Amino acid sequence: MFPLPSLSSFTRWCRRGNPPRRYQTSGTKGVSPVARSQWLWRIGFLALPLILYMVIVIAPLAYSFFFSLTDWNGFNPEYNFVGLGNFERIFSDPLFGNAIKNTVIWIAVALTVPVLGGLGLALILHEGMRGANLYKSLFYLPICLSLAVIGQIWIWIYQPRWGLLNLTLNGIGLEDLSRAWLADPGTALSSVILAWVWQQLGLGMVIFLAGLTAVPTELTDAAQIDGANYWQTLRHVVVPLLQPSTVVVVALAVINSLKSFDIVYIMTGGGPFHSSDTLAMFMYHESFKKYYMGYGSAISVVLFMIAVTVIAFYFRQIRALEHLYD
Amino acid sequence: MTRRRVLQAVLYLLLTVLVILYSMPSIGVLITSFKSDAEISRGGLWSVPAQLNFANYQEAWVNGNVRTYALNSFLVTIPATVLSIALGVLLGYVFSQLPFRGSEALFILIVAGMFFPPQIVLVPLFRLFNTVGLYNTLWPMIIVHVAFGLPICTLITRNFFATVPSALREAAIIDGANEGQILVRVMLPISLPALAVLATLQFTWIWNDFLWPLIFTQSDSSRTIMVGLISLKGQYSVAWGVQGAMSVIASIPTLFIFIFFQRYFISGLTLGAVKG
Repeated sequence: MFPLPSLSSFTRWCRRGNPPRRYQTSGTKGVSPVARSQWLWRIGFLALPLILYMVIVIAPLAYSFFFSLTDWNGFNPEYNFVGLGNFERIFSDPLFGNAIKNTVIWIAVALTVPVLGGLGLALILHEGMRGANLYKSLFYLPICLSLAVIGQIWIWIYQPRWGLLNLTLNGIGLEDLSRAWLADPGTALSSVILAWVWQQLGLGMVIFLAGLTAVPTELTDAAQIDGANYWQTLRHVVVPLLQPSTVVVVALAVINSLKSFDIVYIMTGGGPFHSSDTLAMFMYHESFKKYYMGYGSAISVVLFMIAVTVIAFYFRQIRALEHLYD
Repeated sequence: MTRRRVLQAVLYLLLTVLVILYSMPSIGVLITSFKSDAEISRGGLWSVPAQLNFANYQEAWVNGNVRTYALNSFLVTIPATVLSIALGVLLGYVFSQLPFRGSEALFILIVAGMFFPPQIVLVPLFRLFNTVGLYNTLWPMIIVHVAFGLPICTLITRNFFATVPSALREAAIIDGANEGQILVRVMLPISLPALAVLATLQFTWIWNDFLWPLIFTQSDSSRTIMVGLISLKGQYSVAWGVQGAMSVIASIPTLFIFIFFQRYFISGLTLGAVKG
């Protein structure tokens, strides 16, 4: 369906350490009754889930490409083919450029704060200080909250009159800095991203913590005996060994940034003046607010292309790791 | 050594401050939900309430819509969680125990679904559910969550089944068991921990979902609690306390899971980390 750099290496990565598999070949000649009956089981097991997956995921994907060539408005049964018209329009639409720019900013923040912050927290909490488990729980609690609730909470923080942020700024004598954070085009996007990062930080931390438990203490001990200080051990031993976790955290940060919709919708709706639009929000707005479903489909096709690029990069990294550890 | 002690103490202090700052948003909502609007207008949103006041919860619960939203959320989340795991188990079983030529590629095709932003299929699915007359019912959410849950459920069950010693399966075959019996009598009982991981993850994601009910529902009678929460915001534009109480109510099921099944929740996050 799309170029995957390494199919088998990913599956090998998925079942690291698992026993080798026995292929029951029901080849062309001498089909045994056992093998034939296994084909019936296979088909019986696969049928329902595969049909559902085709109808709900794969076929709509193809339909998105199809609708992106039309001017369908979402209601009329009829529509016209406009060829690549929607795509021409996309690339001359300043609002699309704006959404791309905001999404890139979003990804850039997602790659720094949750990734580096998550790594830092994981390194500190992995030391096993007193109360580490309580601290871990408090940091990953937001992951189980809905973005609808998180958006709601942060609207209160940014609220101009009663909001915690402005109250704090006024309290420490920085009245000049206080403002209507979500209604100001200069701060709307960063305010929404901050709320989102608050949730994502714990996710990075959890994955790095899991990665750290796989780092053998003999290696860090050996480095210390050789005279390496904490930072040298970290840089030359721990971080390289954390590479599998890093790949997962980075891929997650990018993919989750591309998906960013719920919290934007709830906190600003993409406004004011599209200042906090992301690709996903822009697509929703064109499709379900303005009812340009053909145009919206074209945007989703572009989103798909970006996602595929990220997925390809992810699989490539996974394959590189395979070579490293083989 | 003493320098290290001092460094650790400083680090500990910093971490404590950070964790308090980090917890502020959640604490703020919780305390606000126990305050009357008069108290909020006197002391702001973030002051500590003089006494616990359950009026906001009462108000949120008396509102018939909130009960409908919560009920709808359960009616979507429970069947979608169970079905996605059941179908994922079937796929995972075939991919781990009955592989065939091309099954790896099929597996990859399914697992790749974890990465797709859902916006890609929004318009076609909107049209599909409109055409078959399921728009504005709970069915689209159940169906879509089952289909979009298949990648993670397949990945986790397949990886778990692949770790089961093949001797178990061979013994069952010698005893005359067929594939269905092996799955139900051998694989399922020993995979309960893996299924618990999946159940906590799927329940949390489906309960917290906002996009699908926003697209597929229109009237209060078919809305889930997350969309309901946002639509009620207009109704109570100044009632901070009631909004806080509703946010807490909407979070109770996932908080419950988080507190009581934390081990499963965390191992699921790291296992199926590719989904957010």
